[in-house]
Amino acid sequence: MIRRLLAALALIALAGPAAAHKASDAYVTLRVAGAEISARLDIALRDLDRDLDLDANADDRLSWREVRTRWSDIAALARAGLVPIADGAACTPATPGNTAGAEAPPVLATHSDGRYAVVRLSWRCAAAVQRLDADYRLFARTDPTHRGIVRYARKDGPLQLVVLGPGAGPVRLHLPGLPAVATPVVPDTATAMAAATPQTLAASPAFAPAQATHATQAGASSGLAAFGGFVREGVHHILIGYDHILFLLSLLLPSVWQRRCEADHATGRMRTRWAPATDGRRAFAGVLKVVTAFTLAHSITLALSVFDVVDPPSRWIESTIAGSVVLAALNNVWPLIAEARWKLTFAFGLVHGFGFASALKDAGLAQGDLVSPLLGFNLGVEIGQLCIVGLVLPLAWSSRATRAYRGAFAGGSMAIAGIAALWLVQRAFDLSLIAG
Amino acid sequence: MARTAALLRGLSLATLVGWSAAGSPSSPAAGTVDAGLAIPARDDEIVEQLPAHVGDAGQRRAARAAERAQRAQLQAHPDELGLALQAARDALARGRRHGDPRELGAVQAVLAPWWKLAQPPPEVRLMRATVHQSQHEFQAALVDLDALLALPALTLPVRAQAELTRAGVQQVLGHLAEAEAGCRRLAGAAFIALGDGARRNALACLAELASLQGRDTAAAAALARLANAPSADAPGDAPGWLQLMRAELAQRRGDPAAGPLFVAALQSEPDVYTLCAYADWLLDAGRPREVLALLAGHEAADPVLLRIALAERAAYGARDARMLRDTRLLGERFDAALLRGDRSHGREQSRYELDLRRDPAAALRLAQANWRVQHEPADAVALVRAAHAAGRDAAADDVWRFLRETGGRDARLAAGGAAAAAFLPAPTAARWGLSMNGSAS
Repeated sequence: MIRRLLAALALIALAGPAAAHKASDAYVTLRVAGAEISARLDIALRDLDRDLDLDANADDRLSWREVRTRWSDIAALARAGLVPIADGAACTPATPGNTAGAEAPPVLATHSDGRYAVVRLSWRCAAAVQRLDADYRLFARTDPTHRGIVRYARKDGPLQLVVLGPGAGPVRLHLPGLPAVATPVVPDTATAMAAATPQTLAASPAFAPAQATHATQAGASSGLAAFGGFVREGVHHILIGYDHILFLLSLLLPSVWQRRCEADHATGRMRTRWAPATDGRRAFAGVLKVVTAFTLAHSITLALSVFDVVDPPSRWIESTIAGSVVLAALNNVWPLIAEARWKLTFAFGLVHGFGFASALKDAGLAQGDLVSPLLGFNLGVEIGQLCIVGLVLPLAWSSRATRAYRGAFAGGSMAIAGIAALWLVQRAFDLSLIAG
Repeated sequence: MARTAALLRGLSLATLVGWSAAGSPSSPAAGTVDAGLAIPARDDEIVEQLPAHVGDAGQRRAARAAERAQRAQLQAHPDELGLALQAARDALARGRRHGDPRELGAVQAVLAPWWKLAQPPPEVRLMRATVHQSQHEFQAALVDLDALLALPALTLPVRAQAELTRAGVQQVLGHLAEAEAGCRRLAGAAFIALGDGARRNALACLAELASLQGRDTAAAAALARLANAPSADAPGDAPGWLQLMRAELAQRRGDPAAGPLFVAALQSEPDVYTLCAYADWLLDAGRPREVLALLAGHEAADPVLLRIALAERAAYGARDARMLRDTRLLGERFDAALLRGDRSHGREQSRYELDLRRDPAAALRLAQANWRVQHEPADAVALVRAAHAAGRDAAADDVWRFLRETGGRDARLAAGGAAAAAFLPAPTAARWGLSMNGSAS
């Protein structure tokens, strides 16, 4: 590609990077309460190192000591980087920086491209803030492409978004509840666009994080929507989780049958074999026991895992889940536990719960407000599970006496065992044999 | 459903807990920390990996000291053009090595006294065009380059560089004839004083453009000759960029020789672009595990992270926890780019939607938007694959028209359609398979 073709001239070092790293952003949350303004700034350590030379021992790595001991410089840089102007007048810094041991200790946050220093600032203004402008100057002298992604609100109101370029002068932040008067003073097109049209951004999928934030911080109705999202996620998770479905199927298939002793005419000895169940109520009770056992067991481990009480390695869990499906299916063909299948179900249900937890955790929901996602997700799993039961059971019951069902039972169980055995191998040895 | 996916993605640790939910600025009691934030337990815990300097500990220390000295000097004399230009060149070189767009900001910062001038010094103007080009602001780059080339008194090196950069921009935009004309001027007698290296660039540029217009056999031979010809300016092996060009051409021709050529290119220029180019070839060749080995340690760059996630998916399956984590991180980075109004990631983001999130409709929208701006071979591949996966082959008609007009060919376009058809997933998996589920589904 020609655009990289500059080496031999050594005039310009070469074409610059095409879209590569995430660019430099700082994340700012700013709230106004009466005459008080408070803000939290998340600033990338990488950016701070460039301006403040944090890497004291020049080993291209930042240790916590190197960051922590420079915290007052970091706080001062942040303080100088964001200047609120209330009704045309500057406000007074309300805390003398954030030094170690003071009210807000040095803290880090993790964003998608690395660690950020979290600095908290506050100001006291002359009177209750009516009009607010923000003069954003962070890294104006070292990286004009830096942006401050600012979410702001009055007190607990919904957060609004504005993207500020450094060194552009004061930009009006339109606080809700007050008439929007002036148009923001904006430097360049990108900033102007973002500043002038927060609603367009709100409509884009990229703004989902902020919407989600509103859901947890404001209104109960949006909280309900988020809860609904977790429920749907739980349903979805079990419906696309073939291993859970096959496990349930393996346990449900024999529930419409019962073990019966009868004489083997060839040998003259007694033996037990499967026969269609006659007592519908008893069969249903069996199903109920199995489903309840599974629910109880996986709820226990799901909660334990989400609250970080136990955290077994996922490869073991995944392999054991596959193993549980193998055993459940084989148990149909060569029954070891025929009648008290709920015990088997409970034991393995514990393992499946860990599996659900890793799904929930991978969605990043396992921190912060744990209870609502956990309940919603679990509820969804139960709903999905009941759907499967509701679908399979009537079919199985009505066809339990047919040869077809007997064939499907044996063949299906063997097939399930086979598939699950493959999963077991590939999960245990990290191979890629089949989907799932 | 896609909306819920977005919602859930938005609720991820970094965005929700790490920032906003904990973002209530009321100070926590001393010693307590909001959920998602961390106070490292030990002083010697490494909390961030900075872009690595080259060499052993002593050399790295020296390089860092030199950077500090340069910054200090610049702060004392911000108006000294020579100093600023050298700092800008160094920043661009670092940016290219690490693929970090911050360095483009650094260039802009050191050139600030001249940056907004209507008629900045030619070297600054050239640098400004390079930065704009890197930020995919191609029209702005062309304005500066055209203005430069219209200057009667321009030093030969600056003129040569401007021609070459302009040809590069025109090629990206799909104006192949324009680009070729520029390279032909560069290969002409006017630039002979610049020596062998410049001439080699011009000839390689011509060969590349020939290859994009259907004359790929001749082009491959020409590039091979250039690579094997001894050069007074650059003794030793052929430069990495030349091997990279040969590798990419071989890739477009479906020639397995591409592999060793990528390796040769990497040996002399192990930068992010070359790494990703080789990774793509390995992925197409079904060798994802080699991709993971190749890219380990370079995860900070978004294109690298994309290839790692693709390789993890190919190697470990659609529910691998690492792949899901990397996919989520990528999503967050794309979201952050969109927030700041940066839409230059279209090609990569389309691939992310298609191959990781399995959302062909979203992939198609992105690939179409990208194709409206850029017409490189990889842009064509992105659009054809996305259109096919979305069941809307006609959406890629413009690609085929462009290739008919220019005479371009690409083996990946034949194979890519088939591959897209093969993996096109069931609708549920398409929407849900990745964005959130853990390894366990």
